[in-house]
Amino acid sequence: MDLKEGLRAETWAKSSLAENEMSKRISSNNPCFTDFNSQQYQQKWEDPSILDYDIRINPAFQEFNQPPQNQSSLPCDPTNQIKNPFQMNENLQTNKMQDWDPKAMLNNLSFLEQKIHELQDLVHLIVGRRSQILGRPDELVAQQQQLITADLTSIIVQLISTAGSLLPSMKHTLSAATPSMGQLGQFGGVPFPPGAGLSDSIQVQNSCAKKVSNQSNPIDLVGNSGTQQNHAVEEHDLKDEDDADDGEQLPPGSYEILQLEKEEILAPHTHFCTICGKGFKRDANLRMHMRGHGDEYKTPAALAKPHKESSSEPMLIKRYSCPYAGCKRNKDHKKFQPLKTILCVKNHYKRTHCDKSYVCSRCNTKKFSVIADLKTHEKHCGKDKWLCSCGTTFSRKDKLFGHIALFQGHTPAIPLDETIKGLAGPSDRREGNEATSKIGSTNFNFGSSVPNGTGVSDMDAKGES
Amino acid sequence: MKKQRCSEKINLFDLLSEEIVFIILDCLNTNPFDKKSFSLVCKSFYITESKHRKKLKPLRQEHLPAVLIRYSNTTHLDLSLCPRINDHSLFAISKITSFTLQSIDLSRSWGFSSSGLLSLTLSCKNLKEIDISNAVSLKDAGAAALAEAKNLEKLWMGRCKMVTDMGVGCIAVGCKNLKLISLKWCLGVGDLGVGLIAVKCKEIRSLDLSYLPITNKCLPSILKLQHLEDLILEGCFGIDDCSLAALKHRCKSLKVLDMSSCQNISHLGLSSLTSSIGGLQQLTLAHGSPVTLSIANGLKKLSMLQSIKLDGSVVTRAGLKAIGDWCVSLKELSLSKCDGVTDEGLSYVATKHRDLRKLDITCCRKISDVSITHVTSSCTGLTSLRMESCTLVPREAFVLIGQRCRFLEELDLTDNEIDDEGLKSISRCSKLSVLKLGICLNITDGGLAHVGMCCSKLKELDLYRCVGIMDSGILTIACGCPDLEMINIAYLKDITDSSLLSLSKCSRLNTFESRGCPLITSLGLAAIAVGCKQLIKLDIKWCHNINDVGMLPLAHFSQNLRQINLSYTSVTDVGLLSLASISCLQNMTILHVKGLSPNGLAAALLACGGITKVKLQAAFKQLLPQPLIDHLQARGCVFQWRNKVFQVLHEN
Repeated sequence: MDLKEGLRAETWAKSSLAENEMSKRISSNNPCFTDFNSQQYQQKWEDPSILDYDIRINPAFQEFNQPPQNQSSLPCDPTNQIKNPFQMNENLQTNKMQDWDPKAMLNNLSFLEQKIHELQDLVHLIVGRRSQILGRPDELVAQQQQLITADLTSIIVQLISTAGSLLPSMKHTLSAATPSMGQLGQFGGVPFPPGAGLSDSIQVQNSCAKKVSNQSNPIDLVGNSGTQQNHAVEEHDLKDEDDADDGEQLPPGSYEILQLEKEEILAPHTHFCTICGKGFKRDANLRMHMRGHGDEYKTPAALAKPHKESSSEPMLIKRYSCPYAGCKRNKDHKKFQPLKTILCVKNHYKRTHCDKSYVCSRCNTKKFSVIADLKTHEKHCGKDKWLCSCGTTFSRKDKLFGHIALFQGHTPAIPLDETIKGLAGPSDRREGNEATSKIGSTNFNFGSSVPNGTGVSDMDAKGES
Repeated sequence: MKKQRCSEKINLFDLLSEEIVFIILDCLNTNPFDKKSFSLVCKSFYITESKHRKKLKPLRQEHLPAVLIRYSNTTHLDLSLCPRINDHSLFAISKITSFTLQSIDLSRSWGFSSSGLLSLTLSCKNLKEIDISNAVSLKDAGAAALAEAKNLEKLWMGRCKMVTDMGVGCIAVGCKNLKLISLKWCLGVGDLGVGLIAVKCKEIRSLDLSYLPITNKCLPSILKLQHLEDLILEGCFGIDDCSLAALKHRCKSLKVLDMSSCQNISHLGLSSLTSSIGGLQQLTLAHGSPVTLSIANGLKKLSMLQSIKLDGSVVTRAGLKAIGDWCVSLKELSLSKCDGVTDEGLSYVATKHRDLRKLDITCCRKISDVSITHVTSSCTGLTSLRMESCTLVPREAFVLIGQRCRFLEELDLTDNEIDDEGLKSISRCSKLSVLKLGICLNITDGGLAHVGMCCSKLKELDLYRCVGIMDSGILTIACGCPDLEMINIAYLKDITDSSLLSLSKCSRLNTFESRGCPLITSLGLAAIAVGCKQLIKLDIKWCHNINDVGMLPLAHFSQNLRQINLSYTSVTDVGLLSLASISCLQNMTILHVKGLSPNGLAAALLACGGITKVKLQAAFKQLLPQPLIDHLQARGCVFQWRNKVFQVLHEN
């Protein structure tokens, strides 16, 4: 029993960052929330497996009341504080490199406008709640205050940085100042909702670990969130993180930038079966595979393509950055050009930063890093016979000549086999004519081609006329 | 003359500076042997002459290195007498003349490869002109080698049929300074190659694109060339009206345009073209679409036009009249072989274009004395009149020519009704240098005597089948025309050795045709050989009385002889073999020579080192050993096997 509880507590420690403190775990076997809910114990008794326990406990937590969440909000602060400034710094550094873009400025301003509206809604909500539930503890008021302060802080930060982008000289000081501001205002810690931590702790943990997956998580949170307030808070959370991305990265504005890690890009499979672990390149293939694991995966709903979240919030366009530092497709580059899709990222990374390991079996010279490129090349390998002195080959002669006309110093390259053969001499011509002369005696036309030939043949013609 | 001066007072020449001797040598142009004699006088003359000579025309490639070392200032190398030039010769040329050579003519040579060309173009940096015409097996690699001649200005590569766009593209990129390029008959070159030339070689003045498979695509870039003056588009079937209509560029520099045999161009295309090239001076539309009113009107805009050639086209009356109505004054009009030229049209044109200098109405068979009257009365400044086979023109009309056109230098009256009266009148044209009277059956010695007495500047005289001419006529010509270079007395059956003896005084004679003169013997020929040392071309076919006795002096004296026709003569092995001592003999026709044995022929052919073409009876092909034929072919000789039936000379 003790052992089991300890185990359970450990699971908590792992899964929920918001909830657990090391000291608590060490001091007692009882988790902090035993005070509020007896249901948990019942569940514990009923469910021997940890997995089940986790699954069941989640919905239960969603129905929980606010107060314990508020209490537990503080312990999660340190992790957030660590994370957020770090992110901000990173973003600020990229910021310095970028030039002012009016379009991005407009985007930022509209973003700010939206944000202020949201904050307004939140305050409205709080006002409404306050009238409903009068007998609230002071902590709730404090938390609401904190929430609003945090939102305001982020708006101010964004405003300053937006303005700062106009002044190149400002940038440096700004980037140095902002992180501390974030820390002072508990920028990272406060807005991180305790509710979210409770209800979807695992996902929150993910969000801390990985930025990319973090982006998609808030949507789940929105879907799961039980109360209106939670929803608002979580949305704010999402915005806040985006702020860190967008607000500091001045030019992109309209889109958010995602950056996959090298390992992720090069991974052969992106979809894995949760049961047997088999990897797949496509989601559809995984779904087909899943049918073998039971009837529940054969329902039309399970087989259907996961539909996109119909959120009221307009979806931000996603753009991708190459993880390779110094690459033009890397977000730190001065003239950063984002990649449109994950596929683009993969192809770009392989083509530009990886070894070309696929060699054409026909010509043994052309190498490719993307196998599709090799296949495309193999389709017309050997047909590219139009060669420029710069080494470029063309499948069409007019393309080669267009290229040569365009560039100074480039000349058509004559294939080697011909240069070796060279000039055989007109002997073949002469033999050929000899052959024709055998056939008939009337081929005077030849005469014109050879020195002094015309004279004789003319004379002949005249003589017989 | 030189010899005398030098033998008398050698010391005087030491006082002369080299420059003055050079100036004297410049004047020794008439006889190629003069300079040779000069150089053989003494060592210092030898050295002076070798420094002076700039142009070389060697006979054999074997001696090339030695010759080039002797003439170290050679800038112009004409290899057209060397049928075979191998890579070694080209290597030698490129080594020895790497700094001086500016021009090389390889148009008649073969046997070299692209590597030889490459060494030439790489080391001879001053090379400005290359003639590589007729290199039919030259491929793109060879063209790429030519492209290394970065200072090339003129390039002739007609009939280089294996060269494609790629090779021409290399030349276009490599030879930026090209001013002239001739791609005639380079059938492998199309729009892309020509277009690239136009894009890369901005200095082009002259462009010959005859018979190329080009279309409209390359024309805009060609007409954009700033300095283009001379454009020849003969036989470019791919160019049509639509393309010309689309031309928007005005090519102001263009002066000469040849669009002969462009069958797909009508008056529409022409009028759009002429509106874009207003400065045109010379237009050739031979063998084109019918010259109608619309075409003539379309050409009206060419205000600078001086010369128009419509040879072989159908000409309508309205078209001719419209040409007459042009405000410009033509200097040259060619209506040779034009169908539809009538008295009315030609008279109208002639009365309008009074400044006409050259008129060609060859084979305009419809015209009569009316035209000639109008032409002679209005165009008194004519220098050249060609009217071969104007059979309707009566004998009286020719008197008018002599009376009115005093400035004639060239007159072609072949196959006409002219008689002695006409000749007497024509003899007033004292500047006459070319006179063609072939198949003029009405003329006799009397008429020719007038020409001989008055036309002292005559250089060419054609008396082919003028059966009325005998020895006395030739005698007067030989006496009166010391500058005579070419004479044709073929089929004058009454001509004897005395004519030849008299003609032997014409020391500049280089072409002598006496085919079918049965009375001529070896004696006469010997006299010609001794007197006319510059003889290049000799035709003694059907001169039965010429035998080895005639060949021996020929072989000895006529060291410039290049072409000979010995058919139906009595020459034997000995005579033929003796001809082998003529080092520049290139071309022989030996049909039905009874005294010739296969062995003698083989020996003679082997001995003639420079022979390039020999026409033989087909029966000899089996009689001559095949290795010999192979060997001669490898040396650059072409055999033409004829299977002609033995003919007897018809007595007229």
